[in-house]
Amino acid sequence: MGPLSVNELISNNTNLFLAFIIGIGFGFVLEQSGFSSSRKLAGVFYGYDTVVLKVFFTAAITAMLGLLFFSLFGWIDLNLIYINPTYLTSAIVGGMIMGVGFIMGGFCPGTSFCGASIGKIDAMVFIGGLFIGILIFALGYKIWDGMYLANFLGFPKISQVLGLSDGVVAFLMVIVALGMFWVGEWAEKKFPREEY
Amino acid sequence: MKPLQLLAIFIIPLGLIIAAVPQNKTKPYKLTADQLLGEANTRTQFITPETVADMIVKKDPSFQLIDVRNQDDFEKFSLPGAINIPVADLLSDKYTDILNQDAKMNIFYSNGTVTANEAWMVTRQLGYKNNFVLEGGLNYWFEAILNPQKPASTSPDEEFAKYDFRLSAGKALGGGDMPAQAATQTQSAETAKPAIMPAPKKKRAAGGC
Repeated sequence: MGPLSVNELISNNTNLFLAFIIGIGFGFVLEQSGFSSSRKLAGVFYGYDTVVLKVFFTAAITAMLGLLFFSLFGWIDLNLIYINPTYLTSAIVGGMIMGVGFIMGGFCPGTSFCGASIGKIDAMVFIGGLFIGILIFALGYKIWDGMYLANFLGFPKISQVLGLSDGVVAFLMVIVALGMFWVGEWAEKKFPREEY
Repeated sequence: MKPLQLLAIFIIPLGLIIAAVPQNKTKPYKLTADQLLGEANTRTQFITPETVADMIVKKDPSFQLIDVRNQDDFEKFSLPGAINIPVADLLSDKYTDILNQDAKMNIFYSNGTVTANEAWMVTRQLGYKNNFVLEGGLNYWFEAILNPQKPASTSPDEEFAKYDFRLSAGKALGGGDMPAQAATQTQSAETAKPAIMPAPKKKRAAGGC
């Protein structure tokens, strides 16, 4: 709960409790939208179902525009927003591992727990793999900490890298998103599947 | 109307508006005296020796130790990886890039905290971010990390956890059984490293799908 815990209006425990409630809501919505089916995520790769792409991109666009307008009205201080640190090498390597895992497993971490909670065995196997991966990473930390921490770039924003204002980048992202949605809908028509 | 068109009708104008308006820069660049006093009172600038020891041992690339004592003292002893910016030269142009950036976390230290705090206040007043102060300075560093005192047997568990962490961090950083005076020669952090127990650290929330 962003501003509430940063400004210490609520305690860490209350924050965790709220996260728990929000998490249940998130899981419920994911399940109800059919995200607990591995075919839904795999569909993005094969082009027959791009709902996942649309949902997450819409969420990102909504949050982006919301934050920028809130900042414009003086309701939120963007400097207080936590930005993930950029470790370039691990971002690229991790992104590739994650992507391959998405296609192979048909789940992302969130949806795998959704699937497991309604008794899907493939989702439970996926969670098993997830924990094996965590174990390998943690126990072998000494082997890859050099790569893990390589190319630290600080906390850059795309707008700073490109030298544009936040608003212009936001507008470009809106256009990119609409373009991707359009391509997604085209792919759904091009590679339809009757039942999945 | 198709959902995609509906979405486009909503978000394209919003995107155009946000691209056209100037960014909100109403937040003052420099701190007022009130804000500075507030920050100093809440002691937000202090980083505990445990956190710093943990970062040194893990070779965390996201921080930079800055020794604000004079050059002689710096050459006699400094923490691993520290650079020297004497507080008298703080405003020199050649250090601006180091002090005024938002990539790394700068941690000032001096023998006590007075000099380091001076450096912090000056940079904070200038509106620079990411500058912090090692709590207790080098004196407390020797006491807490390099020569930790065993807590009384009636102490709570957290005290013992803290002591264990300090002991293992101290050994990794070349302290341990040598007296504080002799520790001035211990520049080498390459000594055998025992396993470090993680210091209790505030975690920041991270999102994900």
